Amino acid sequence: MAPLSLFSVFVTFLLSLTPALSTNSEGNALHALRRRLSDPTNVLQSWDPTLVNPCTWFHVTCDSNNHVIRLDLGNSNVSGALGPELGELKHLQYLELYRNEIGGKIPEELGSLKNLVSMDLYENKFEGEIPKSIAKLKSLRFLRLNNNKLAGSIPRELTSLSNLKVFDVSNNNLCGTIPVDGPFATFPMESFENNRLSGPELQGLVPYDFGC
Amino acid sequence: MALGVLIKPRAIKMSRNFNSRSILALSFVLFVFVTTLLVCTSEGLNLEGQYLLELKNSLRDEFHFLGNWNLNDQTPCGWIGVNCTFDNDPVVWSLDLSSMNLSGILSPTIGRLVHLKKLDLGYNSFTGDIPREIGNCSSLEYIYLNNNQFDGQIPAELGKLSYLRSLNVCNNKISGSIPEELGNLSLLAEFVAYTNNLTGPLPRSIGNLKSLTRFRAGQNAISGSIPAEISGCENLELLGLAQNDIGGEIPKGIGMLGKLTDLILWANQLSGSIPKELGNCTSLDTLALYENVLVGYIPKEIGNLKALRKLYLYRNELNGTIPREIGNLSLASEIDFSENYMTGEIPSEFSKITGLHLLYLFGNQLTGVIPNEISHLRNLTKLDLSINNLTGPIPFGFQYLAKMIQLQLFRNFLTGSIPQGLGLYSQLWVVDFSDNQLTGTIPPHLCRHSNLILLNLESNNLYGNIPPGVMNCQSLVQLRLVGNRFTGSFPSELCKLVNLSALELDQNSFSGPVPPSVGNCQKLQRLHIADNYFTELPKEIGNLSQLVTFNISSNLLSGQILPEIFNCKMLQRLDLSQNRFVGALPNELGTLSQLELLRLSENKFSGNIPSALGNLSHLTELQMGGNQFSGEIPPELGSLSSLQIALNLSNNDLTGRIPPELGNLYLLEYLFLNNNQLSGEIPSTFENLSSLLVCNLSYNNLSGPLPYIPLFQNMAISSFIGNKGLCGGPLSDCSGKSSSPFPYLKRNNASRSKIITIIAAAIGGISLILIVIILYFMRRPAETVPSLQDNEIPSSDSDIYFPPKEGFTFQDLSKSMSAVAGSYGYIAPEYAYTMKVTEKCDIYSYGVVLLELLTGKTPVQPLDEGGDLVTWVRNYIRDHSLTSERPSMREVVLMLIESNE
Repeated sequence: MAPLSLFSVFVTFLLSLTPALSTNSEGNALHALRRRLSDPTNVLQSWDPTLVNPCTWFHVTCDSNNHVIRLDLGNSNVSGALGPELGELKHLQYLELYRNEIGGKIPEELGSLKNLVSMDLYENKFEGEIPKSIAKLKSLRFLRLNNNKLAGSIPRELTSLSNLKVFDVSNNNLCGTIPVDGPFATFPMESFENNRLSGPELQGLVPYDFGC
Repeated sequence: MALGVLIKPRAIKMSRNFNSRSILALSFVLFVFVTTLLVCTSEGLNLEGQYLLELKNSLRDEFHFLGNWNLNDQTPCGWIGVNCTFDNDPVVWSLDLSSMNLSGILSPTIGRLVHLKKLDLGYNSFTGDIPREIGNCSSLEYIYLNNNQFDGQIPAELGKLSYLRSLNVCNNKISGSIPEELGNLSLLAEFVAYTNNLTGPLPRSIGNLKSLTRFRAGQNAISGSIPAEISGCENLELLGLAQNDIGGEIPKGIGMLGKLTDLILWANQLSGSIPKELGNCTSLDTLALYENVLVGYIPKEIGNLKALRKLYLYRNELNGTIPREIGNLSLASEIDFSENYMTGEIPSEFSKITGLHLLYLFGNQLTGVIPNEISHLRNLTKLDLSINNLTGPIPFGFQYLAKMIQLQLFRNFLTGSIPQGLGLYSQLWVVDFSDNQLTGTIPPHLCRHSNLILLNLESNNLYGNIPPGVMNCQSLVQLRLVGNRFTGSFPSELCKLVNLSALELDQNSFSGPVPPSVGNCQKLQRLHIADNYFTELPKEIGNLSQLVTFNISSNLLSGQILPEIFNCKMLQRLDLSQNRFVGALPNELGTLSQLELLRLSENKFSGNIPSALGNLSHLTELQMGGNQFSGEIPPELGSLSSLQIALNLSNNDLTGRIPPELGNLYLLEYLFLNNNQLSGEIPSTFENLSSLLVCNLSYNNLSGPLPYIPLFQNMAISSFIGNKGLCGGPLSDCSGKSSSPFPYLKRNNASRSKIITIIAAAIGGISLILIVIILYFMRRPAETVPSLQDNEIPSSDSDIYFPPKEGFTFQDLSKSMSAVAGSYGYIAPEYAYTMKVTEKCDIYSYGVVLLELLTGKTPVQPLDEGGDLVTWVRNYIRDHSLTSERPSMREVVLMLIESNE
């Protein structure tokens, strides 16, 4: 009797672990994110990896083809760090992780979120540099990274983001000069304040230099 | 203690040799022995002992496992973890310190223990490098350093250990590449280095390892390709390189590894096709090539792998058809080809693999019907053929597959009815047939064995009622029947299902009232009954304390909003749209603090919008359009700091001014306030709506100029139409007169040059601007100045000292100044370098704005034109030889006075 019940506990355990029913990598990616995050208020409780896809998980929105297009975890009291798996969410348009306690680096892999329109990581504890790979997100319109602990320079590659409408890196620890090309011609100074930035590069007046 | 251990073997030896020799002789031997002992003790520990103590010195031994490593011992042979040979001159042949919670570094002294055959330091917390001196321990046969924190590289000197049979360094932080010298280890049978930070390619010398049976280096960052030389490892049984960055093709030579049982290469970048030579590895038990970028066909030779049990090729880019030879894998238990690009039909030969219990072919482009022969696979427990182009019916025989627990066929083109006996003989756990063209009714016995947790039949053509067998399915967690033709009243028995967490009945033809018993579904988190003909909601909805999403839109629901719904404090999504709800919104709506989405549109709600809605700090979308809301927009809506998707208050009877607080919604992308009776000006705070993509303010009573927002300037007139008093931007000129952008400038080039010169001078000298300002105030009565600050539109004939751009008023000028003061091109160089703002910076910026007005160019210019407007003007002046004409200050003042006459 005892071995039998032990066995059934084991089976239940296995079933709860294996993402057996996930037909796409998106559910796995989100579940990997869940494991990385500490979630004291249980906002991720519904993220059940045994479900067919993550579209019934709360704070996740899918399109009609069951691809994840929104991740809404702003103001959710989560901490921890992001991992490379987030790059698997190929259809993601909105990555809303603002106002949490998430730290660590912004994963390079976010550069593979080709459909991303909005990346809101503001008011967290992100550190390290702004990954250059963000410049690959050609649909990106909103990039708000303010109020973190980001260091290094503003990658010049970001000037190629022609759709970028809002760019806010204020209240970080960035250094170097501020790009002025492309969409950067239109961003207000407030988006850059409270850093160690040495001002905009004034092309034609000063040597082209953005190093820290 | 140590002494006792030391003496024992000798005592045995002595007793064996004991004969008739005199006691004297024995006494003498004893005397010599004891003397030797005393001398040795006084001389201290032998060399190996000292080396070991040196090792210990660089360790932290928190739990004193090495407590008996005593300097006063003669030899270390009695020490914990130390094993010596049993001969006359004992030497340390084995050091086993595994699982002792040791930390610190491994001292290079280890290289002096030259008699070591076995070194086991596994399961500790050693840090630092593996000392290269270990290569001096030339007798070493076994090295176990696994499960530590070693970093640094695998020392090339290990290649000198010609007796080495086993090297295990897994679960460390070792970096660098696997040294080429390892190829010298002709006796090496086992190399285990998984879960480290190894990089670089695999050494080509690997082919020399004729004794190698197990090579495991998964979960590293090994790059390059698998060397063709691997074919030389004739004894290789397990090759594990999963989760690396290995690219290139799988070498054909793998086919020469006749003893290979496990080929584990998943999660790499392997490309090319699967070599047909793999069919020669007839000992293969597990072939895991998933999560690579393999292309081409699955070779038919795969059918030669008679011993194969597990075949995982999923998540590649394989195309072509599944070879019929697959049926020869008679021992296979798990086959997974999912998420590839495979075409053609499912071969009926699968049915010959009688032991098969898992078959995943989902996420391909398979066509044709599901072969009836699949029904012969009596051991099948998991079958997933979803996301293909399969047609025809679900084989009737599926209902007899007694071991089936998970059956997924969703997103195909399956037709016909579901076998009605499904569930009679099997303990079904998950059934998902959604997104097909199935007709008929739900099989009555799906939950006969009370094991079913998920039933998803959405988007089919099923009809009839939900059978009692499903409604009483106590195990059920999710029931999704969206998008069918089900009829009848709300299935009230469903409310007895205590485990039910998701019930989705949208887009069917259910009708009548939702019964009060729905309140029994205490675990219900998701209740979607939109697009039906439900007429009434019970107040017991308020018992659903776990409810997170509640969608009842597009029904026939009427009456006031149920106050009980505010008990559902977990609600994140609430959609009441397109019903016939009436009355005012209760303030309690503001207590649903988890709400992310609130849709109330297309009802007959009336009264004021409760200001308590402003408490919904998680709200991303607020849809209230198409009601009869009246009164003013509460300024509290401006505190909805998460509002991003939309704020829609259109088509109501809202009056009063637009609260300036709405300008705080800086994430907001869509704003609809159209078709109300809003009046006053569009608040200037709207310039903070930096994320706004679409804004519709049409058909209100708004007046005044559009705030200077780039979006507004480029927006279609339709967004503002129907407001009599609005002007500026795409609308009519606020001064009431439409004119060309630069009427003054167009007169002749000479005057343009003059003006540019003036402005250039202005930038050069702050004093000029001061003079201009003084002149301005001298020429105008002081009392007219405040009118400019009062947001009044200056009349067309007000004598502004500069010709305005079309639709560009002095007031706009001052506003745009404040908006752009910190933008590039406008910024004074001093500000750029010091980040300190002075009045001088403002004057500089002001000058740039003036230059912008004059030249019609933006402050930031292409690099080849100077990069910014100031440089451009400088170049212009130089190129047009205007510098010589630079007027004196006196002339400038005269010019200005003239220009006003």
